[in-house]
Amino acid sequence: MILLETNNRVVEESISVRIKNALAGNKPENTNIFISDYAGVLFHISNLEGQKNQLRVSIALKFYTELQQHGATELLNRVYGSYVTEPESGFNFSLLVDLEKIPNDWELLVKKIGQFKRNCFASVFEKYFDFQEKGEEGHKRAVINYREDETMYVEAKADRVTVVFSTVFRDSDDIVLGKVFMQELREGRRASQTSPQVLFTHKEPPLELQDTNARVGDEVGYITFVLFPRHTNRAARENTIDLIHMFRDYLHYHIKCTKAYIHSCMRAKTTDFIKVLNRARPESKKSNEKKTISGRSFIRKD
Amino acid sequence: MLGRLPPCVIDVGTGYTKLGFAPNKEPQMIIPSAIAIKESAKVGDQTVRRLTKGVEDLDFYIGDEAFDAKGYSIKYPVRHGLVEDWDLMERFLEHCIFKYLRAEPEDHHFLLTEPPLNTPENREYTAEIMFETFNVPGLYIAVQAVLALSASWKSRPLHERILTGLVVDSGDGVTHIIPVAEGYVIGSCIKHIPIAGRNITYFIQSLLREREIGIPPEQSLETAKAIKERYSYICPDIAKEFAKYDSEPSKWLRKYDGINSVTKQPFSVDVGYERFLGPEIFFHPEFSNPDFTTPISEMVDTVIQNCPIDVRRPLYDNIVLSGGSTMFKDFGRRLQRDIKRVVDARLKRSETIAGDNLKPKPIDVQVYTHNMQRYAVWFGGSMLASSPEFYTVCHSKKDYEEYGPSICRHNPVFGTMM
Repeated sequence: MILLETNNRVVEESISVRIKNALAGNKPENTNIFISDYAGVLFHISNLEGQKNQLRVSIALKFYTELQQHGATELLNRVYGSYVTEPESGFNFSLLVDLEKIPNDWELLVKKIGQFKRNCFASVFEKYFDFQEKGEEGHKRAVINYREDETMYVEAKADRVTVVFSTVFRDSDDIVLGKVFMQELREGRRASQTSPQVLFTHKEPPLELQDTNARVGDEVGYITFVLFPRHTNRAARENTIDLIHMFRDYLHYHIKCTKAYIHSCMRAKTTDFIKVLNRARPESKKSNEKKTISGRSFIRKD
Repeated sequence: MLGRLPPCVIDVGTGYTKLGFAPNKEPQMIIPSAIAIKESAKVGDQTVRRLTKGVEDLDFYIGDEAFDAKGYSIKYPVRHGLVEDWDLMERFLEHCIFKYLRAEPEDHHFLLTEPPLNTPENREYTAEIMFETFNVPGLYIAVQAVLALSASWKSRPLHERILTGLVVDSGDGVTHIIPVAEGYVIGSCIKHIPIAGRNITYFIQSLLREREIGIPPEQSLETAKAIKERYSYICPDIAKEFAKYDSEPSKWLRKYDGINSVTKQPFSVDVGYERFLGPEIFFHPEFSNPDFTTPISEMVDTVIQNCPIDVRRPLYDNIVLSGGSTMFKDFGRRLQRDIKRVVDARLKRSETIAGDNLKPKPIDVQVYTHNMQRYAVWFGGSMLASSPEFYTVCHSKKDYEEYGPSICRHNPVFGTMM
């Protein structure tokens, strides 16, 4: 698995088990499940006030109000249409699936619910991709604090959209690995001409963010993507959003995989060294005790 | 609801891995503990051979997907509950966390499980992987048997929440009988019984083979398993049960309908005595296994008699069931009755030997059944991880960096009324 998946399997599984159960005509069971996702997202799958055949899926994002400014609610309404319901208290957005009226293409619906979090994110990107398409400039840069101390900035120009991520490395080793990884990404542009330009700055924000109060520090890194119309056009847009909204998690996933890989190298080296050590045992001193043919032993004096 | 993200609970067993988030009642994912990797035909040591270049170390599948993957070889990193291959285990966890749980491990506390008699070194290895690779903020390693005990608390009053008890854990492969005293496993007294879910399935299969002819041979195991799960129960007395079936067959016989997977023709099977004979092999193992003839109730009694004398009474008083093969109807009741018989017979004997001088205090035998039995270990873990105390007993990343992996050798027991 090189790319992380955009859909949440656990959510999909939990819902499809219940739909299948309902289709088989079994009695619906009580549901109350909490599921978490990247970027501190929390899902809650539950029954609507004791009605076991009403399945409610709610999502909570810490930064939903920021997404809302960029039309997240409208987008979710558009995607989920008739399934949208009053948000559960403590959550930002809720969907309702009636287990008695399951559509024939329920598998598609489940897939769509699995993309819940991705669709929340999509609004920002769609909005700014539209600005770029229409050539509108001068819109305020979008700022999404998608994690406690990490932020995403999106800005549209007539010919490109810039997306900047700030990320915090909790471990000092991560900084090194992250840097190497980003260098590789930059190199990757040579292999694939159509990939967007990637810039990585460590400790200080890139020039675009100089006048903002972006974080400065040893553990902070900034990654800038420059997306051209090639990436933001209608055909490529969905895929671009799929990939870019997961980028922070993708980066950290690969840092962790790299560490796991280094660990297996270390284990391999250790077994090698142990072999060498075992070979290096001093040979036991030859005794000069000999045996006669009848089994008696004697010591030969040389 | 916003605040601390829910802790992740991962129970890696020999056969299946159960994973999910803490306050939930059931694991969110149950996948086989298998990993499919590409293997090269190079010679040399296994660990060296496995090192690859580029991104090939990411080319693997776990769980159900491992069995679907073509051109890969399937490995089981866990054997008899103990992790054998740490390279594969690390990659297995990688997928568990990033693909299935979709959790950024830096944000979640983790509760992992270990079998009784796990070595402290293994705990250190686990800690190394979790803290070094995944940067988790907190880790707790719990013993499966203790979690199974705490899973039984849910249906019981507060003052009964004790961590002394006997766990009868029966899964698919083996049945374990594990005594726990105040949260610590009495390792020297653990016993295993070679009879568990799979043996019952085989036994039912053999019974069906003798009588039913309609079952397609390639589906006979599957059919036997379905019959076991759907219709089997434990009876109080076999002789009476046979009589019941013979006098009123219509009331007791069941019909199982299946569909031949090749010809798509329906077939039906009469389900008769196997309904109660299948699980009966727990109490009469000689039915299916000529080499092993000790009933489970006698084994439980032997285990408790081997334990230190001061915990024997509390152990008899708190026998907890765990695992899918203890889900048969009336299993707990029958076990309790049979153990009680053994115990009472012994008390009677000591009374006759002592004459009139001594009247022993009767021993209470109590077997607890609850509705979380199937995934009792995971559920116990989820329950403990959602208590506020969990965060105080977790080993933190800071402690790990200060003292090293050895801090995870000991995981304090918590959550009791002690």
